[in-house]
Amino acid sequence: MTMPLSLFERIWARHVIVPNPQGEELLYVDKNLVHEGGTFLAFDQMRTEGRTVRKPKQALAVTDHYLPSTNRATAPASIANPEIRRVVEALDINAREFGIEHYGVHHARQGIIHVIGPELGWTQPGLLIACCDSHTATHGALGALPVPIGQSNQLRHVLATQTLWQKKPKTMRITIDGVLGKHVSAKDVILAMIARIGIGGGVGHAIEYAGSTIRAMSIEGRMTICNMSIEAGARIGMIAPDDTTFNYLHGRPLSPGGGDWDNALAYWRTLPSHPDARFDRELSINASELAPMVSWGTSPEDSSPITSHVPDPASIADSEKRSRVKRALDYMQLTPGTLLDSIAIDRVFIGSCTNARIEDLRTAATVVKGRKVVIPAMVVPGSSQVKRDAEAEGLDKIFLAAGFEWRDASCSMCGGSNGDSLAPGQRSASTTNRNFEGRQGPGALTHIMSPAMAAAAAVTGHLTDVRSL
Amino acid sequence: MQPFTTLTAVAAPLDIAKLDTGMIVPGRFQRLPRRPGHNDYAHVFLHDLRFDEQEQPRAQFVLNQSAYQNAGILVTGPDFGCGSSRESAAYATLDFGVRALIGASFGDVYRGNCMQNGVLTIVLPPDIVNSLMRQLQSQPGTTMTVDLPQQTVTAPDGTQHNFDIDATRKERLLKGLDDVGVTLQYLPQIEAFEARYRTDMPWLKHLI
Repeated sequence: MTMPLSLFERIWARHVIVPNPQGEELLYVDKNLVHEGGTFLAFDQMRTEGRTVRKPKQALAVTDHYLPSTNRATAPASIANPEIRRVVEALDINAREFGIEHYGVHHARQGIIHVIGPELGWTQPGLLIACCDSHTATHGALGALPVPIGQSNQLRHVLATQTLWQKKPKTMRITIDGVLGKHVSAKDVILAMIARIGIGGGVGHAIEYAGSTIRAMSIEGRMTICNMSIEAGARIGMIAPDDTTFNYLHGRPLSPGGGDWDNALAYWRTLPSHPDARFDRELSINASELAPMVSWGTSPEDSSPITSHVPDPASIADSEKRSRVKRALDYMQLTPGTLLDSIAIDRVFIGSCTNARIEDLRTAATVVKGRKVVIPAMVVPGSSQVKRDAEAEGLDKIFLAAGFEWRDASCSMCGGSNGDSLAPGQRSASTTNRNFEGRQGPGALTHIMSPAMAAAAAVTGHLTDVRSL
Repeated sequence: MQPFTTLTAVAAPLDIAKLDTGMIVPGRFQRLPRRPGHNDYAHVFLHDLRFDEQEQPRAQFVLNQSAYQNAGILVTGPDFGCGSSRESAAYATLDFGVRALIGASFGDVYRGNCMQNGVLTIVLPPDIVNSLMRQLQSQPGTTMTVDLPQQTVTAPDGTQHNFDIDATRKERLLKGLDDVGVTLQYLPQIEAFEARYRTDMPWLKHLI
C-alpha cells in the first residue's frame, strides 16, 4: 500500500528529478519570479560566466521593492537617489537581455510580486514556484509549492538550470477551526499563531494550514496567512486548493483556458492531503476565541490581543526571553503594564504583500468611511490592478476624503527600500509583516496589525480596538 | 569558474579574529554592479580596513604594504567571513586576486560561497595557522604553495601540512565546476522530466 500523502509531499514528489548523496533532491522549478532588489548580482554573474536563462518563458520579472509610490509618470528617470535608480534600471536591462518578461514601472499589471502572481492566474495549484524573497510562501495559498531562494547564487542556479537542490523539510499541520468574530481577520489569526509558536516555531518545516476557518476564508485572507509563515521560521506555507481557489482562478488572464482548464482542474482536485496523511507536527487553534492583535515588540511573535497590556519582562521565567523582551521594550520606548490601546501612533501605513489586496482595502475603507485621520496615513495598493479596482469601487474617494494619501503600487514603507520610511523615533501602525528594529527606517518603531486595526489607529491617533469604534 | 589545481603565490598574514563579511564588503557597496572582466569588487575588498574616510590607503594595513601587493593567498584569523550571508564577500575576495585562504575556522556561508566561486578555503589547526602567521610576518612577501590534488600546504620554511576537504568540493574545484556546472551534468534527466511533464500537464506545454 502506498503512503497516504499530504499536499506538500504530493507536490514535492512530483518535482523530484534526482537525489544526490548529500541527501538533497534536484527539484524542477515550474515558474520563477524575479524582482529588482539585489538580483542584478545573479544576472551580473551569469554575464561574467557567459550563461543564458534556460527557460525564459517560465520566469516573470516585476519591479516592486525600489519603485517610488508617488510621481511615477517619469520614473525611473525621475528617481533622485542614483543607487535606487540604477537598481530599478538594471532589472529592465537584465530582463530584456536575458529574454524574460518584465512588468516594470509603466506596465498595466505592475505590482508587488506576491500580489500579481495570484491576481494574474500565473500562480496555480501544484506548481513549484521559486522566488528570491522570503515572503514567497504567499503563493502557497493557492496550493502551489513555494520555495524562497537567495537573490544571487540560488537565483542564478534557477535561471540557468530551471531546477533547485533542496533538502526536504519536515511537515507541520496547523488546524484552525471556528468562526472569526467581527473585525477579526486572517492577520489576527496568523499573528496569534506566531505569538504562540514563536519566530523559530516553524523552522525546518513546511506548514499546511487547514481547518474550517481556512476553508471559509477568501483567497486574499489565505494569502495573508501563508505570507507570514516565514515569520514563524517556516519557508513554506500552503493551503489545499478547493472550490474557493478554483473560482478565484477561473478566467484570470494567465489561468488555463478552454479544454486546458478542465485538465488542470482535474489534476488540482487530486492535490489535497489524504485524510490519513501524517505530519511531523500538529497544532490546532480555536479561531473563535481570537481578538484583533497588535505587536508591541521587535519581532512578530511579540504580539498580543489589543485588549491586553505591554508585558512585564519581570514576569517572564525564561531568562533569555526576558532579556530579549526587555531590549525590545527599550527599543520600542514602551513601559511594562501600559494598555496597548493607549499607545499613541505617529503614522499609518496600509500596504505590503501581506495586506494590500482589494479585500484589505475594502475592510480599511469600511472603518475609515465618514471619519477623518488625525495623523499622517497612506494607502499603497498591492498592485496597479488593485488600485484600478479600488478606484472603480470608489474606495480611493473614501480614503482621500478621510485624509489618507492614495499612492501607487510598490513595497513602499514595508521595508523602506524605495525611500518611503519613518523618521527615527516615529511610531507606526502598519499592515506589514515585520516589526524588526529599523525595518521601516533607522530607529523606526513599528506596530503590525490588520488593515481594519491600522485604519482605526489612523482615525483615533492611538492603537485602537476597531470593534469599539 | 576557473579550476584550482596548485597555486604558488605571495601569502599575506591577516591576523584579525572574527573579520566578518560586513568588513569584507561594507553594506554600502552591496549595490555595486559587477561587469565581466572588470574585477569591480576588488576595490571594495576589506575597504574600510584598507582605506580611510578620505579614500586614502591606510599605510599600516598589511595589504597596503609593498611586500604584499600581489598577495594570492591569505592566512586569516579565526572565524574569517562570519556574519551576514552576502555573496559579494566572496566576489570581492576573488576579484582582489585571492585564490586561497588558510585559517583555523571560517564563516560557513562565506566558505561555501568562496568554494562556489573558485576560492579554496583551507582549515588547519590553530597552532599551525599561528606558526604560518609568524613566518609570514618575519619574512614579508614570501610565497607559499597550495596543492589541491595532494591536499597540502607548503609553509615558507618548507614544512608541508596536510588538509582535509570534502571530496565533492575538491572535485568541483579541480574541474572548475560550480553548482550550475554540476547540475547541468544532469541535463538529460532534466530534459526527460520536462518531456514527461509536457505530456502529463498539457496546460503548461506552452511554457515548458
